[in-house]
Amino acid sequence: MESTGDEDDYELTMAVTAAATQATREGGGSAAGIELRGIVKRYGQQLALRYLDLEISDGEFFCLLGPSGCGKTTTLNLIGGFVAATEGSIWLRGKRIDRLPPHRRPVNTVFQSYALFPHMSVRENVAFGLRMDKIPKHETRTRVDESLLLVGLEAFGDRSPAQLSGGQQQRVAVARALVKRPAVLLLDEPLGALDLKLRKRLQVELTQIHREVGTTFVYVTHDQEEAMSMADRIAVMNDGLIEQLGTPVEIYRRPRSRFVADFIGEANFLDVTVKGDVATFADGTKAACDGAGRSGRATLMVRPEWLRLGAQADAPPGSLAGRAVHASFLGSHVRVAVDSGASEDPLIVELSSTDVAAVPETDSEVAVWWEPGDALLLEADGDDG
Amino acid sequence: MAEVVTEATPAADGAVSRPRRFASALGSYGGFAPALILLGCFFLVPLGIIVCYSFWEVINYNVVHHWTLGNYRYFFSVSAYITTMWATLWVSVAATALAIGLAFPFAYWLARYVPQRLRALLLVLVIVPFWTSYLLRVYSWLTILGEKGLLNRLLQWLGIVHHPVGLFLYDRPAVILVLVYLYFPFAALTLYSSIDRFDWDQLRAAMDLGARPLTAIRRILVPQIKPGLVTAVIFVFIPVLGEYLTPQIVGGTRGVMIGNLVVNFFQADEYTRGAAISLLIALFILLMLTVFRKSLSAPEAYGA
Repeated sequence: MESTGDEDDYELTMAVTAAATQATREGGGSAAGIELRGIVKRYGQQLALRYLDLEISDGEFFCLLGPSGCGKTTTLNLIGGFVAATEGSIWLRGKRIDRLPPHRRPVNTVFQSYALFPHMSVRENVAFGLRMDKIPKHETRTRVDESLLLVGLEAFGDRSPAQLSGGQQQRVAVARALVKRPAVLLLDEPLGALDLKLRKRLQVELTQIHREVGTTFVYVTHDQEEAMSMADRIAVMNDGLIEQLGTPVEIYRRPRSRFVADFIGEANFLDVTVKGDVATFADGTKAACDGAGRSGRATLMVRPEWLRLGAQADAPPGSLAGRAVHASFLGSHVRVAVDSGASEDPLIVELSSTDVAAVPETDSEVAVWWEPGDALLLEADGDDG
Repeated sequence: MAEVVTEATPAADGAVSRPRRFASALGSYGGFAPALILLGCFFLVPLGIIVCYSFWEVINYNVVHHWTLGNYRYFFSVSAYITTMWATLWVSVAATALAIGLAFPFAYWLARYVPQRLRALLLVLVIVPFWTSYLLRVYSWLTILGEKGLLNRLLQWLGIVHHPVGLFLYDRPAVILVLVYLYFPFAALTLYSSIDRFDWDQLRAAMDLGARPLTAIRRILVPQIKPGLVTAVIFVFIPVLGEYLTPQIVGGTRGVMIGNLVVNFFQADEYTRGAAISLLIALFILLMLTVFRKSLSAPEAYGA
């Protein structure tokens, strides 16, 4: 049970970092950071995960993103050892870990509630994991110091957790988990309880910490902005399955399904009939698109910032005619809602607030168009459940 | 002008403020009056009487107001009484330890694994025995442990013994068993209410950091429920220390506890000696509470 499939091995070896290569030499197993193979998790009748396959490379900042109940936290708990899989196996650097209890896995977790020990000082909290491993005292001291320095709390060691702010508590939780130098750090919505400003600051801090320690981070969140701003790769999960896996740019620009397009960022969805490279809208307008061999009913997705807005007289062929119903100024940009015959919901157009002149009068007739390459054809509504 | 005013004000104030201060003191402390009366009539006065009795003596079945230390001297001069005192101590310690040892896993299980709606039911089941009289609950153990009791009949039916075993009753093990049964609910309820507030993620975090499950419980859960544990110890140990019915009914002559001595003295009209022993028990409890007071200090009980 030590070696993985040959093809997998080859592909993964190509992608690993220097650290992983070293781990391979020591461990003698596969080079992948974490591999989940054919994971099924059932809670009674309910399927929380339906056949999940996932590979995370060593040193990666990986995000599991999805709405509540999609299975992302279950996936994290499976890696941490707090939940047992109904089927499938989990591998860490070529070693099977899914039968090990949590305290024997080289994996540490930052809990959503931080779960700091209130009867211990910050130092004692951070030192707890090392004491459990019976690390000598002087080494424990230096490692705790290093860890507190890493999160900028070197002056707070003697405080009790209750004397710290939410953001500081969160940092203690990170320090406590990282002091054990885990192969993987699991983070379960660690910023969920903090206000927006602090959250943004800690997002930056966490990515810096990640760069500094080089440990694999597996980060669970339901906040797409958070995932986009931090992750190397994102797995968008829905209903126990990974809908799409890719870099933030890939997922934003080329969402594979309406669910992903809708969950990540904002999108306009238009029902169309496709024939060759021509899409016909509900109001009869025909526009060029990349049909990619599709034909019949489909959904055309365009991001608000990719839409162009202008007078109907100046519009290129294939533009949608409509009426501006509302414009709202949002600081960095202006959102304009346009009613058209092509869709039930108004089209949302995002204009840079630097060209305020382009914002149409309310109730004026306008045209909306886009570059054919910016629109994406997805499965028709209702076909993807 | 200003001088006159400053001089006049204190004088005028002094005249008015004393009754006013008394009135405000009455206002802020007057609320304690009912408690004070209750405590005074039903606790302090009887206690005072017992203290006096313990220093008086009985002559010809009458309490005579002669001040003496004789009652205390008498108690410590009889070796059987000293033996009973030590026996009472270890029976109480054993019963308390067993009751809490059983109640802790029960409360842990209830708070961690039982769904909310089933918990209420189980808690009611724990309290149900209180609906029956104390005496009845103790006597019912006679029908379980007695020579023709349930346990003996079961053992005979299983063929493990052929003649009824008399060992189950009328000794200290029977007393401890029944005491554990009687006081388990107190320990279980106290522990449950303090474990129920625990954040279970902390145990997961401890295991995540490398602690074995039992180590995690010992290092993380137990220190945080210490006030609850101390309360449970007090709730069980103190009443057990003064028990006399249970040892009398299921303990027989070999199960005698210090409470029985008090009863015996009072029944023999030796009020002063009985009073001295009950005060010794009270003194011991006071000593124990002082030791535990540190663990019950307010910041620890309410701070977390």
